[in-house]
Amino acid sequence: MISLRIDSRSVVPPYLQIVQQVRQALRMGLLDVGDRLPAVREVVAATAVNPNTVLKAYRDLEREGLIEARPGHGTFVLNRPPGPPPGTVSRLGRSLARWVRQARESGLDDESIESLLRVTLRAAAEEEIA
Amino acid sequence: MTTVIQTCGLSKQYRRVSALSDCAITLPEGRISALIGPNGAGKTTLLRLLAGLAKPTAGEMTVLGGVPRQDPAFLAEVGYLAQEIPLYRRFTADDHIGIGAHLNPRWDAAYVRDRLRSLNIPLDRAASSLSGGQRAQLALALTLAKKPRLLLLDEPVAALDPLARRHFLATLAEAVACGGLTVMLSSHLLADLERVADHLILLATARVQLCGDIDALLAEHQILVGPRKATTAIEKTRTVVQAVRTARQTTLLVRGNAPVVDPDWESAEVGLEEMVLAYMSQPSTGLDAASAISHLTTVGEDQ
Amino acid sequence: MTWLVWRQHRAQFCVGAALLAALAVLLLITGLQMASQYHSAIAACAAAHSCANLSSSLFLGSHAVGFLVIMTLGAPVLTGLFWGAPLVAAELETGTNQFAWMQSVTRKRWLAVKAGWLLLAAAVWGGVISALVTWWSGPDNALQLDQFKTGRFDIMGIVPVAYALFAMALGICAGVLLRRTLPALAVTLAGFIAVRAAVTLLRSHYISAITVTHSVLSAYTPPGSAWQLGQQVVDSHGNLVAAPNGAAIDSIPLGYLPASCASPARGAVSILPSCRDALASFRSVVTYQPAGRYWAFQGIETGIFVLLAVVLLAVAAVVLLRRDA
Repeated sequence: MISLRIDSRSVVPPYLQIVQQVRQALRMGLLDVGDRLPAVREVVAATAVNPNTVLKAYRDLEREGLIEARPGHGTFVLNRPPGPPPGTVSRLGRSLARWVRQARESGLDDESIESLLRVTLRAAAEEEIA
Repeated sequence: MTTVIQTCGLSKQYRRVSALSDCAITLPEGRISALIGPNGAGKTTLLRLLAGLAKPTAGEMTVLGGVPRQDPAFLAEVGYLAQEIPLYRRFTADDHIGIGAHLNPRWDAAYVRDRLRSLNIPLDRAASSLSGGQRAQLALALTLAKKPRLLLLDEPVAALDPLARRHFLATLAEAVACGGLTVMLSSHLLADLERVADHLILLATARVQLCGDIDALLAEHQILVGPRKATTAIEKTRTVVQAVRTARQTTLLVRGNAPVVDPDWESAEVGLEEMVLAYMSQPSTGLDAASAISHLTTVGEDQ
Repeated sequence: MTWLVWRQHRAQFCVGAALLAALAVLLLITGLQMASQYHSAIAACAAAHSCANLSSSLFLGSHAVGFLVIMTLGAPVLTGLFWGAPLVAAELETGTNQFAWMQSVTRKRWLAVKAGWLLLAAAVWGGVISALVTWWSGPDNALQLDQFKTGRFDIMGIVPVAYALFAMALGICAGVLLRRTLPALAVTLAGFIAVRAAVTLLRSHYISAITVTHSVLSAYTPPGSAWQLGQQVVDSHGNLVAAPNGAAIDSIPLGYLPASCASPARGAVSILPSCRDALASFRSVVTYQPAGRYWAFQGIETGIFVLLAVVLLAVAAVVLLRRDA
């Protein structure tokens, strides 16, 4: 069972942090279909966030079809989020790491790398629409 | 949605000082409400009035469907924890559990014992020999053991170290997660409560400045940034909470739902701390921005 | 709530019980000794027909125990100081009243149960000490016939119970009004002493005293354990004769008497006839409360202090229940 954490200083609202962490865990293979998610009470006891925050996150995940609440038993993973299987992600991650090393050696700082990534993503999105 | 607390025109006047003026708040069931305000704003007064420990000089209030009164049924449903954490100094935790069992109609002694054991708080030592954090946890567990429907806490974490604070708030949030409990806790430190609260009541100079669900309040407020120019058009459709003008730029914090049509104004979302500070540094509150900030943060926080 | 009262005050109750037990043992032992000492003395003097002088020649018991018994005058105020003053004040000081009041106990019940049990304990304390002292003083009272006198009256009978209740009520009321234990202690002590002193001064006036006038030549002593309030001498015109500073006969200064009364043999029992005539014109006025009124006086004084206690408790209750917590 995964443990969730909340970063108060992050700009991302707490409920969204939970949604993202569950999605990420599913993508990385830490959570699999049929696994039980921590109960709202357990998350609250561990992170000291408002119960409604956790409820909202779980509702969002349920609406996306990723999890399912079974009364009396708990909340369970229903589906993995659409996307490539975990293996693909780690493979792409490794090649990205190589590219980043190259970019750094060429003299780009982290800020330039980030804005280059953003520009590239936006261009790719525009291409898809067109 | 049931309302647990509703007040209208609530005031408490002492001989020369007005501790609370014309206070109108609503607290729905199941919320954890942060009662925020600088020292002397009236937070303690409000909590004591709601608990029935003090009588108002004007106005009305409805708590759990009735007026706070000296009645065992009401007292059993409302829990109040004073800032000084009153415990009997010579009595041990076990003694306190015994006292609670004898006095309260509903009592969950096992809950207190389990909680204290999981926090490694000894049950057989006198309360005066426990640390501040341990006393706070004991008092909270005792207050929760009587299964109240409403919990009123006065600066419960002010004297606790960050870890004790985290444990305290986690215990509180967990109790609310189990259902049937509404909480109002006061603090002059917003950072403490931001995580755990979903409702906000802001008091300054004995008046209510804000009251509502935090998400709804943040959705109602916007930051508008634009060139230095007249703001009369904006003021017609919205309330301007705070305006900061430099030589070239005007920054406004506005409240209202109407969309901004003027292309000169760029709108952005406002954060909770920013919004609270803006209300606290209004001229009517008698605080300027610097002292408002100092009221909301403390040296040693998260160090 | 009763359980809480016991739990909070059981140390105090135990100390009180222990002190009572110690006093009881001491007085029982010495009292029995004194009783047997008295009875054998009575038997001896009856045989020798010398009982008339027994009151001045016989000393019962020991000085130490006698002193302790006199000190029980202060016993009632102890309940007010150690049980009464801290009862509410200590809780208000530490804020523990808020704890109790948020444990589903109304303020009325909290005060009623706490005060009720401790008032009962105070009454028992005062009553037991008084019963012990009254029994112990039996032989002495029979000998000296002085139980009506100020000082003896206060430590026997039923008034010590009323004093204890009053002290308790005073302590509780002071605690409620002042909200701090030490000031409440001080006020209780000062108030108790002041009121007891004032009431003691008024005691002789509960019922109008009886006045008996008789000749200076025939001594009159009110019978039994009457309380003699005063004796004065008046001349034939009814004017008061000042108390003698020097030589006097039958309490009349020589200055008022003819020269024939001045006698070189001062201790002479027989007086010249002319002197006797002069003396006969003076009258002795004795004011006293008869012995039969002893219990009436006990009852009146008890009533006064119980009434004061009730008033103080009522004030404490009203203030505590109306005031903000």
